[in-house]
Amino acid sequence: MKTESYQVKLEVFQGPLDLLLFLIRKQKIDIHDIPIATITQEYLEYLEQKEKINLDREAEFLLMAALLIYIKSQMLLPREKALNEEEDPRQSLVHRLLHYQRIKAASSLLRKKEDEELLKWKRTFLPPLLSEEDLDLEEVSLFDLAEAFFAAMKKKRREDFQIIKRKEYSVEAKIKEILAILGKNSFLDFLDFFTQQESLEEAFVSFFSLLELIKARRVIAVQESLFQAIKVWLIKDSLAGQN
Amino acid sequence: MNNRLKTLIEALIFISQKPLALEKIKDILEEFPPKDIEKAVEELLQSYSSNERGIQIIKSAGGYIFSTKPEDDRWIRRLLRIERKNKLSPAALEALSAVAYHQPITLSEISALRDTDSSHTIKTLLQKKLIKIVGRKKSPGRPLIYRTSDKFLTYFGLNSLKELPTQEEISKILEEGEDIIE
Repeated sequence: MKTESYQVKLEVFQGPLDLLLFLIRKQKIDIHDIPIATITQEYLEYLEQKEKINLDREAEFLLMAALLIYIKSQMLLPREKALNEEEDPRQSLVHRLLHYQRIKAASSLLRKKEDEELLKWKRTFLPPLLSEEDLDLEEVSLFDLAEAFFAAMKKKRREDFQIIKRKEYSVEAKIKEILAILGKNSFLDFLDFFTQQESLEEAFVSFFSLLELIKARRVIAVQESLFQAIKVWLIKDSLAGQN
Repeated sequence: MNNRLKTLIEALIFISQKPLALEKIKDILEEFPPKDIEKAVEELLQSYSSNERGIQIIKSAGGYIFSTKPEDDRWIRRLLRIERKNKLSPAALEALSAVAYHQPITLSEISALRDTDSSHTIKTLLQKKLIKIVGRKKSPGRPLIYRTSDKFLTYFGLNSLKELPTQEEISKILEEGEDIIE
C-alpha cells in the first residue's frame, strides 16, 4: 500500500472528497463497499506527504480523516445482529462520494464543450457597444486613478517642457471649475482633462480636487471596461446639495 | 419582400452582441407579420449552412448569433494576436457543474457537494457572469441563491439547460472509468 508510484501533490485535489475518490479509483475499490481501514491508511499517508497547504484547506482534509476514523470505530462496535444497509456507518459518505463523482464527470464533459466552443469566435468577444442594458460600469479605484494620472503627466512632461509660471491654484477654485464643467457636459474625460492643464502644478491641484470630490461622493469615476477611458460623472443626488 | 426581411434579420443578428432570440426579432420588426419573420429566419439559416461561408449562425442560449468555424481558429488568433484563450480553472468548472446540475443552489450547498469551501470560486464565477444571483433562500441567514446565466449557455455552446450533458452521458463516462481527475 505504498503511494510512492503516485506522487501527486495535495494541491491538485479540489478537496477531501476529491482525494478520497482518487484513492478509491486508483485501488479499483467498489465505491459501495469501501474497506475503511485501508482507505484511511492511504488517506493519512497522503496527508503526511503534504507540503505547504494553507490552514483552512488542511482543516478540511483533517476533518475527513477524523470522519474516516469515526466510521471505522462505528464498524468495529460489537453488534447483536448484522447491520443492514441503511445502518451502515459508511452510507452517508458513500452518498456524498457518488454525488461528487457525478459532478466531476459532468465537469469533464463541460470541459470538452468548452474546448470546442473556444475555437469559435463570436461577437460576444468583441468590445461592447454602448447600450443602456449593458452599462455595468465599474467604479475606478484610487490606485487606477493615480496610475492613469501619473502616466498622463509623464507623457505631458515629455511633450512640453515649459517654464513654470507664477500662478496660484487652489483646490477650492478647482473644485468649482470641475463642477462647472460637469454641470455643462454630462461627463468629463479623465485623461483629456489633465492633459489640458497648463502646468504640472495645476494638474496636481486638479487631481487633488478630483479626489476630494470623489471622497465627498459628489462625483464618481468609472470605467466601462479595462483599458477604456476613465470618465468622471456627477452623482445626481449631490446636484441638489450644490446650489 | 421576403428577401428584404432576410437581409434585415441578418443585420440585426450581426449587430447584436448577445444571442438574438426569435421573440426579440419579432418585437423589433413589429411592422412585419410574425409568420413571415419565421420563414425569413429559416431561409437565412439555410443560406448560411452551406460551406461557402466563413461564418455561421448558431443557436445559443435560445437565440441566434454569428460565429466563426472551429477550423479557422488558428488564423483568427494570429490576426488578433491572441496566443490562447483562457480556460476555466478546474475548481471553477467543478463549482459551475455543481450549480448547473443542482440549481437553484446556495453557497453552502455547493461547498457541501464539493466538500470544500467554494466562496472564492463562486465570486469568480459571478464576476465572469457565468452564474447569477436569483434571490435569497428562506432559511436561517437568508443565504443567496445562484443559477447559471445565459452567458453560461453561450460559453458552453448550449441552446438551453436541456442540452447539458445528460445523466446517462455522465453515467457512461463513469462506467468507462475514464480518467475524470484533471
